Amino acid sequence: MSAFHEGLAEIFEVAVADMTPNFRLEDANWDSLAIVSTIALIDDLYDRTVSADALAACTTVADLDALVARECAVRAA
Amino acid sequence: MLAAGGAAASTGGCPADLETSAAASGRVARTSRARIAGLVSCLPPRRIENSHFAARFGSKLDDVVKMTGVRTRYWVEGGVTTSDLCARAARELLDRLAWDRASVDALVFVSQTPDYRLPATACSLQARLGLRPGIVAFDVPLGCSGYPYGLWLAMMMIQTGAAQRVLLAVGDTSSVMNDPDDRSTVLLFGDAGAVTALEAHDDGDAVHILGTDGRGAENLIVPRGAFRSCSTHPKFSGYPADTLYMDGGEVFNFTLKAIPTLIRDTIAAAGQTIDGYDAFVLHQANAFMLKHLAKKAKIDPGRLPINIDRYGNTSSASIPLVLTTDLAAAVSERAMRLALVGFGVGYSWASTTLTVGPLACAETVTL
Repeated sequence: MSAFHEGLAEIFEVAVADMTPNFRLEDANWDSLAIVSTIALIDDLYDRTVSADALAACTTVADLDALVARECAVRAA
Repeated sequence: MLAAGGAAASTGGCPADLETSAAASGRVARTSRARIAGLVSCLPPRRIENSHFAARFGSKLDDVVKMTGVRTRYWVEGGVTTSDLCARAARELLDRLAWDRASVDALVFVSQTPDYRLPATACSLQARLGLRPGIVAFDVPLGCSGYPYGLWLAMMMIQTGAAQRVLLAVGDTSSVMNDPDDRSTVLLFGDAGAVTALEAHDDGDAVHILGTDGRGAENLIVPRGAFRSCSTHPKFSGYPADTLYMDGGEVFNFTLKAIPTLIRDTIAAAGQTIDGYDAFVLHQANAFMLKHLAKKAKIDPGRLPINIDRYGNTSSASIPLVLTTDLAAAVSERAMRLALVGFGVGYSWASTTLTVGPLACAETVTL
């Protein structure tokens, strides 16, 4: 997930070290623009399309990690 | 005969020169003996800079501009409609091509901002342009996919003998549907009209792919204003129902899923490689999306022109507007192998592979 966290840090314009599991997305202005950027990031890194609604429901970086892991597992199964 | 997407299947009873088949991304159709003779785009005179929105959106403005890439756009005012833009473009085009108005056999108007609920705008435009009574004229209410859809229709009319010369008018005045408080749409859309002249010609082969997925209808919609109202849907809570609603995330997802496949199928159906194209002219949806699509489809950015920074997303006019701006000099001087790819509201998508140029006219005018 390190590349994912690096990408998130770039989207949120914070240091990569800040991308801890408990990092709260609302503190980083988790709006529609950030969601679209995150959709593109996940597509770039994992070739997976994640629903905007599922992303909007995430509240922490841990939630995002879990969503990506779930999406990759579903497609791999 | 066709090998698009590895899923080609002949339809059997279709004449050989109108053969269609399926690709992963949609229906494949081949047309012949029809070419583009010239085209003109028309912009309204009022240019809107991003500073226009500074007071309303504050610090958020820069974030949206970074994503959409739009720096200026042109908006109508004073009740100007898409047909006004198209009428101006059509007159310029007919004059430049020295086409006798009596020689035009068909007029197709592709727009989601017609003059009236009825009659069809193509009917009044036929009279306004002084085209002869008795020609084919009808509207097609498609948006971002409308230009390649319109080319397919016009080329079929020519191929079947229904017309020798066709005017294809496309465009929208999306600004009149904007919610001024919705930064995801009001900053993005610009207004434009464009008219393309098509004519019968021996060297005029084109390959089209056309597709639809109406499951995305509610993600880009004006929920009220026609004869069904879905404005009470929770999705539209807080949005004025007679303005343009866009779920940007879902529309982006649709694009990621559908368009790389459409581009792959387009190249395969035409029996080409990426290098066989001079340019891929994609609907100017949003700069971030276009750059991401180019990367995903492995298209050299130099062969994927982007002009959304100057004109915004102009719906069905965006592809011809690229041809009359960034590619105007090139298509005026030489023959270019192009893939024209439209996608969006509906969801609806279409592509056309064809050779364009050298054109007698590829210009942008102001109303």
